[in-house]
Amino acid sequence: MRNNEDAFSTLHPTVVFGHFVTVVGVSVVFLHPLILAVSFVGALAYVCYLKGWSGIRKMFPGVLAMMVFAALFNPIFNHRGMTILCYWYDNPITLESILYGLAASLMIGAVLLWFVSYNQVMTSDKFLCVFGRMIPALSLTFSMVLRFLPRYFVQAKHIAAAQRGIGRDVFSGSWYARARHGSAVFSIMLTWALENAVDTSDSMLARGYGLPGRTAYTDFRFRQRDLAAGVTLGGGLLVVIVAIVAGVLRANYFPIFDLNAASYLSWLVIAVWGLICATPLIMGLREEAVWRSLRLNL
Amino acid sequence: MALVAFESLTFSYPQGKREVLSDVNAILEPGEFVLLIGESGCGKTTLLRHLKTALTPHGSRLGTVRFDERLLTAVSSAEQARRIGFVLQNPDNQIVTDKVWHELAFGLESLGIEQAVIRRRVAEMASFFGVGTWYHRDVATLSGGQKQLLNLAAVMTLQPDLLILDEPTAQLDPIAAMEFLAAAKRINDEIGTTVLVSEHRLETAFPLCDRVLVMNAGRLIVDELPRNVGRMLAKTSDPMVAALPTAVKLALALGANSGADLRSTTENPISIREGRAYLRKKLSLACSSQVEVAEVCAGIATSPSETPAADVDVAGVATKMNAPVGESCAGAVCAVMDVGEGGDSAAGMGGSDVADVAGAGVAIATISPSGLRDITTRTVVTTRDREATSVITAQDVWFRYDKNGDDVLRGVDLKVYQGEFACIVGGNGGGKTTTLGVLSGAHKPYRGKLSVLGLDPKKASGLELFRAGLAVLPQDPQTLFMRNTIADDLGDAAAQHYKNPDERRSAVRDAATTVGITQLLERHPYDVSGGEKQRAALAMALLTRPKLLLLDEPTKGMDNPVKTRLAELLQQLTADGLTILMVSHDVEFASVYASRCLLFFDGSVVAEGTPREFFAGNSFYTTAANRLGRGLVPGAVNVTDLVTYCRSLPLKATISQDANGGAR
Repeated sequence: MRNNEDAFSTLHPTVVFGHFVTVVGVSVVFLHPLILAVSFVGALAYVCYLKGWSGIRKMFPGVLAMMVFAALFNPIFNHRGMTILCYWYDNPITLESILYGLAASLMIGAVLLWFVSYNQVMTSDKFLCVFGRMIPALSLTFSMVLRFLPRYFVQAKHIAAAQRGIGRDVFSGSWYARARHGSAVFSIMLTWALENAVDTSDSMLARGYGLPGRTAYTDFRFRQRDLAAGVTLGGGLLVVIVAIVAGVLRANYFPIFDLNAASYLSWLVIAVWGLICATPLIMGLREEAVWRSLRLNL
Repeated sequence: MALVAFESLTFSYPQGKREVLSDVNAILEPGEFVLLIGESGCGKTTLLRHLKTALTPHGSRLGTVRFDERLLTAVSSAEQARRIGFVLQNPDNQIVTDKVWHELAFGLESLGIEQAVIRRRVAEMASFFGVGTWYHRDVATLSGGQKQLLNLAAVMTLQPDLLILDEPTAQLDPIAAMEFLAAAKRINDEIGTTVLVSEHRLETAFPLCDRVLVMNAGRLIVDELPRNVGRMLAKTSDPMVAALPTAVKLALALGANSGADLRSTTENPISIREGRAYLRKKLSLACSSQVEVAEVCAGIATSPSETPAADVDVAGVATKMNAPVGESCAGAVCAVMDVGEGGDSAAGMGGSDVADVAGAGVAIATISPSGLRDITTRTVVTTRDREATSVITAQDVWFRYDKNGDDVLRGVDLKVYQGEFACIVGGNGGGKTTTLGVLSGAHKPYRGKLSVLGLDPKKASGLELFRAGLAVLPQDPQTLFMRNTIADDLGDAAAQHYKNPDERRSAVRDAATTVGITQLLERHPYDVSGGEKQRAALAMALLTRPKLLLLDEPTKGMDNPVKTRLAELLQQLTADGLTILMVSHDVEFASVYASRCLLFFDGSVVAEGTPREFFAGNSFYTTAANRLGRGLVPGAVNVTDLVTYCRSLPLKATISQDANGGAR
């Protein structure tokens, strides 16, 4: 469905996908605390914007649990680092591993949150648009999987209900009876799927499937706006990568925690990174502002 | 210049003994809308599949199929994909991708057409079919009717010259079916695409088409204008006669169509509107003295040879029409029918028959507009008598699927009595199927009282209800079969009640005999026809020794003869004491065979009664015969009622009219 999409989601799928690869990739590869913190805040803000408070309340506890787990896991099992704070069951707990654990936890939090918004923004047809051009066959396969998997689940439910109607319940009776009925449902599913696949293949053949030179159609168009957004994001990503590779931003955790001193240049890079992470939110807010002003002018 | 030509096409499947198609000769002219009809298994699908090489079945073949003056096999697959569009029966199975827009583009992608062109073609078709509002949706969220329209639109994006529709509405409800056929007609009218459609819904399809092809056992027996089909078919013993539109059956039974003017709509009606005009003419020609009626009838009974020749031709029709007169008026009305068909049955009439007919002549005098009503009140009384033995009681039942959702059932009150064949009718989304779910304990209502076989489905745990004698048959019987032979499946179903293997075997045999599938016991359940599957499923249900049987749309996708067989079986079962509650869209079926009908709308029962009082009381949601006779023949529910009424009027006027028609 494409109702009520925010401004960022209406960009061409390749740009949206590129953005997600950028933010997730940089967060995973460069464990710099500032980079991670900015990424985390950006992701959280965008999820808030997309799903609202009620949405956040629903999924944030899970993300937080993962983060706490990562933060605790690392110092307990990773004993590298010079600064030993204390011993736990004869194992040293080091400052470095705690800091590394915190960074990892931020990273996991940021990545999870980006995926939450990714799930909402990159619908299956957008995913297909990105990969369909590269591998048309794959794009069709993927689309068919998306069509048939949910159908199989629905059909399994129908079969279970039908079986119950003549006195075979998958959900009651002895353990053995339930297992038998469960496997019956599976067996019926299989036959049903194979039987109906004949129809599907007829329908595909009738519409010329298998002729050479198949193209992959996508409903999305690459507009001026997408080019502008793509170029901007690409430029920003280049800046961040070059800066990190050149050592403008550097973070070492082992053997001793070490960040390079703040410089104007490093703050500039962080600012660029912040802009990249905030792009979805900024685009959304800007468009809302436009709407408000339009309404005022009415 | 013919677009398609079948030339002496004969086909049989490998190892098949009989010919599925034998010597079929037919031509489709460009721009025609042709209807292909015939009993299930007569070779319609096989014939249609010969119009596309990719779908043509393997087997031995004689004769040729030509497309656009060339052998079809010489037309390239790309050209066939583009120029010949094919829509199959099952809406769900044909859809390949997960999004509506992607499905629309599928065929064009296959042909390797570039983006911009695809975009334009897809846009054109989406606009033509009004797909715009659901263009971006997931296919899974569409209704059955929308899915089938999508299949049609997806084929039309290829801009075919020939559109083949193989029972496209079999899985749809009546309204969606009508919309689909209207869309097909629109394509034919506005784009000029040649359409060849096989259909069971002749009431809707007949007025739309230019020509009708009738098949019987692989042969093409009729190739005629729709107005002539009735007359031509009546000469044969084809079971399709019973499936003809009401107006055609009426005109056949009343002995018109003596061949004078085939294009005359009033003499050869095919639609409800034309049927009404025809009926009006018949009625205005008759005067209304009731005494005269009895005299005329008596006259025919004593000297049957006076019956006009036109009737002889048609006499067999009424018996094949299998429109049993409902309820208790059957005796009188059937006797009257015999009078009318005197020309045919006279030879076999013994002394007692003549006495019967004379008696009927008297009975006829009481069948006036109010007479039919009198009969209905009598059946209501018998219904009330059964009050004590209700099998299902629902009082003010409310149900919704989830807490924040809308109510699906909004105060359902209903009772089903012992030994009854009750039928819930109503449009889509009225909550019919949900009601079955609630009654069988699959859904738990949040308000109201329920009692099924003395148990409360809300509290009954697991299989308690089913042990008490409840059986439910799903819409799709395929969801029941899991073994390699029907016999094995039946054996499994019997295992619960028949522990001894010998007992079980004989129980399976008995059940198979009851439903009439003994010859199919060793077949794979997926290899038999739809009607046979339904019977096998019914046998499975019977082996659980049910007292109450719930059926969900058992007639879906069935043609008339198959339906009749099912109905006879169900009536036999109720006569043996089984109680049946059926949910159906099929108004005609319910009107003839159910003992009581309930109309569901907006989550509750809004009307109920015996089929006669129920359908006579409705004006739109009713049988075609009732609509045809509305305001003209009061209280008529099926063709037999209409025929009886017309015959009950002084026949001399009608007879002379027919005689004139014959002479003209």
